[in-house]
Amino acid sequence: MHTRRNRCGIFAATACALAIVLATGRPAITVEAQQVPQRIVSLAPSVTEMLFVMGAGPRVVAVSSFDHFPAEVDLLPRVGALVDPDLEKILSLRPDLVITYGSQNDLAAKLAKANVPTFRYRHGSLGDVTTTLRELGRRLGMASTAESVAAGIEQDLDRIRTRVKSEARPKTLLVIAREPRSLRAINVSGGYGFLHDLLELAGGANVFGDVKRESILVSTETILVRAPDVILELHYTDAPSHTLVDQERAAWSLLSAVPAVKRGRVELLFGEELVLPGPRVVVTAAAFARALHPALMPR
Amino acid sequence: MLRADNVTYVHGAHGRGGIAGDANDVLPGVQRVSLAVERGAVVGLLGPNGSGKTTLLRVLAGMLAPSEGRVTLDGAGIGTLARRALARRIAVVPQETHLAFDYSVREVALMGRYPHLGPFELEGPRDLVIARDALAATGTVDLEHRSFATLSGGEKQRVVIASALAQQADILLLDEPTASLDLGYQLEISTLVARLNRERGLTVVVATHDLNFAAGLCRSLVLLRGGRVLVAGPTAGTLNAAAIRALYDVEASVWFDERAGRVAVVPIEKVRHA
Amino acid sequence: MPDVRRRLVGWTVLLGSVALAAAVGAPLIGSTRINLARAFDTALPYADNVDAQIFFIARLPRVLAAALVGASLAAAGVVFQALLRNPLATPFTLGVSAGAALGAILAISLKLQLTLWGVSAVTGASLAGSLGAVAIVYALARARHRGFSTNVLLLAGVTLNSFFSALILFVQYIADPAETVQTLRWLMGDLGVAGYGPILAALPLTLAAFVAFAWLPRAMNLLSLGADAAASRGVNVVRTQQVAFFSASLVTGAAVSLGGPIGFIGIIVPHLVRLMVGADHRIVLPAAALLGAAFLIVCDVLARLVMAPVELPVGIITAIIGGPFFLWLLVRQR
Repeated sequence: MHTRRNRCGIFAATACALAIVLATGRPAITVEAQQVPQRIVSLAPSVTEMLFVMGAGPRVVAVSSFDHFPAEVDLLPRVGALVDPDLEKILSLRPDLVITYGSQNDLAAKLAKANVPTFRYRHGSLGDVTTTLRELGRRLGMASTAESVAAGIEQDLDRIRTRVKSEARPKTLLVIAREPRSLRAINVSGGYGFLHDLLELAGGANVFGDVKRESILVSTETILVRAPDVILELHYTDAPSHTLVDQERAAWSLLSAVPAVKRGRVELLFGEELVLPGPRVVVTAAAFARALHPALMPR
Repeated sequence: MLRADNVTYVHGAHGRGGIAGDANDVLPGVQRVSLAVERGAVVGLLGPNGSGKTTLLRVLAGMLAPSEGRVTLDGAGIGTLARRALARRIAVVPQETHLAFDYSVREVALMGRYPHLGPFELEGPRDLVIARDALAATGTVDLEHRSFATLSGGEKQRVVIASALAQQADILLLDEPTASLDLGYQLEISTLVARLNRERGLTVVVATHDLNFAAGLCRSLVLLRGGRVLVAGPTAGTLNAAAIRALYDVEASVWFDERAGRVAVVPIEKVRHA
Repeated sequence: MPDVRRRLVGWTVLLGSVALAAAVGAPLIGSTRINLARAFDTALPYADNVDAQIFFIARLPRVLAAALVGASLAAAGVVFQALLRNPLATPFTLGVSAGAALGAILAISLKLQLTLWGVSAVTGASLAGSLGAVAIVYALARARHRGFSTNVLLLAGVTLNSFFSALILFVQYIADPAETVQTLRWLMGDLGVAGYGPILAALPLTLAAFVAFAWLPRAMNLLSLGADAAASRGVNVVRTQQVAFFSASLVTGAAVSLGGPIGFIGIIVPHLVRLMVGADHRIVLPAAALLGAAFLIVCDVLARLVMAPVELPVGIITAIIGGPFFLWLLVRQR
């Protein structure tokens, strides 16, 4: 009973589906909505956190070698990381979604050959955290949960932003890395990237904000010239003893003409979440704000 | 005045700290060799490859310490002499000289003055005069400002001899001095060394496998085979067909050439063993 | 009148002036303009004097470190080339810098925190690594010969270089990618010492090596004739080779621990110097040290200026200058 009208209808429906596929630009395999991933392998710790915060934790079957949060990941098998992903191990777990870094082209190609869907993760600005969350939610068929988590993060960040809005913005040096106990190899955040965005949000003015790079090596001379009022130094381990923290901070006493050093405003922050553009950026933002405006945000 | 008494040297055993160079590993040794070199003599160490000539020369020079026997210079064991003191008595001209860097002829000649200078002493005018004299003696003084690397084979060898002369040693040891030189240069070196012996009373010991060269230059010969002395004595008496047969397994024609004024050797054929 | 003394004095004065000019001028140059009068104004409290701190902490230590490292690597280059009788030898040929690199990268990747006598963990580990490499190479060179063979030395050094390089790659592979930036930066060379501690730490070894260097030049000239020729002129060949090896290796280890493996100085400067002054090591060695110091000071100024406020690793500058220079040398030799 294929009347002419039915035939037109079927043709139109197919054409629409095709148009949707072409418009979204995704390989056909990801449009099939009934394929909600149940066995997820994540190579990116920040995305792992996103999965767990959305409630998709039980679906995660393996994580990277550098995953430490939440505690549940300690029980999961490890499949390598950015430099050394273990393809065999990944495939042996029969995943239906593998989260890779955007730069892992080789791995993605191999997974595509094995017909394993991938989610290519790229991090950039602070806004990318919630964007990725929402995308992930759609992919996992948990769009509404993802939306509420993302909205929650945005609200928390907004709250911090509002709180410090009326305060003066101290010129801040955001130190990402440095040779321990000395002022060599000082790596700071330039005017690009989620750390820079967090700094600005928390009411600081990045003293190297004019250099549009995510991380730059700077000399002590340029630090002296730019004269930051606050130095925020990030360390990605748990806080060591007070003595060690003081010893580490003391390295800056060499540059006593820097306002931050003169006024004792060298703040050392500890925690592995500092380097992760994931759901815990709120924690980082609060830490930054507390360090920048101690009077305003008591512990 | 330079004597070797029953010296034995075997490679791979002990040495005087070992001079760097892996040529050591392929050189043969010498076994219980004795010889005496009188003042003003011109002695040739003759033998095929592997007979120990170069080794013996280096033992005589004090570069290698024998495991048995001793080498004495005017009665004193050369092992007891300080390096510099020994260098003031014995000079060595090696087979080939490859300069690692671009020295001038003058600089090479002046290097012979090392044994006469203190640790931080720079060469003085007297040293320069001596070096120039040495270059003049070998006919190379007009090459003084040339780069050593740009010289011909014969010129290089003469400059190296000049450098050895600058040491003002009374004994000159030469290791295969004509090995890489053509006929013309060979004659040059031969004439030069003979003249130095005649005019300066230089005592000369030459290690060579070139029979005619040795016959022309040396007044006495030491024939070596397998690290041992086969026969030694004045050239005319020692270098004969029988000796050559024993040394090289070669049947040769040996005669005294009137025109050349010396013994001449022409190989005929390899000896067939029954 | 032999002119060695005259030429030695002449070249030392000339290159010494160049080095001095560089050393005096370099702290005055930077990405910012500083007020010299204020920098030296003792009336101003030091803690407030930005100009003084830029001059005395940001710039002057770098210049001194550049002078020390440049002089050390250039002189070591000359000595290694004489020891190995090869003008292409560098201070890094025998594996010393690979050992230093391995030590430093282990310290960075393991995030070592200790300091000893004002020397950071990375510097100390790098020095230990270089000493280890020297010991291994020497032991290998001695094992086969009761004496000291430069051929075996070369082989041992090249082998150790390859082996340590492989180890370095392995450590980087298994280490936290966050440290990769730091290790890469160290490998490219960096003179931003920010303080005089590291310089003072490198000083004892460097001075000891230079004392030995004073004794070597004439013997190195004779060694260029060949080991036999040198020995027959009264040179203690084995002792010369040992002194040359140890002094050049140790000064290289100290230099690499201070500024990282800055390449090309150990080969450009000796070559340039030989082109200018001839082959006599009594002039080449001091001239190379002075020119090396000046050269690296200038390269460091460029490293600070080219992409200010970002500073380039100085090893990149020396490589950019060194590579084309080498090609030119090659073409010129035809």
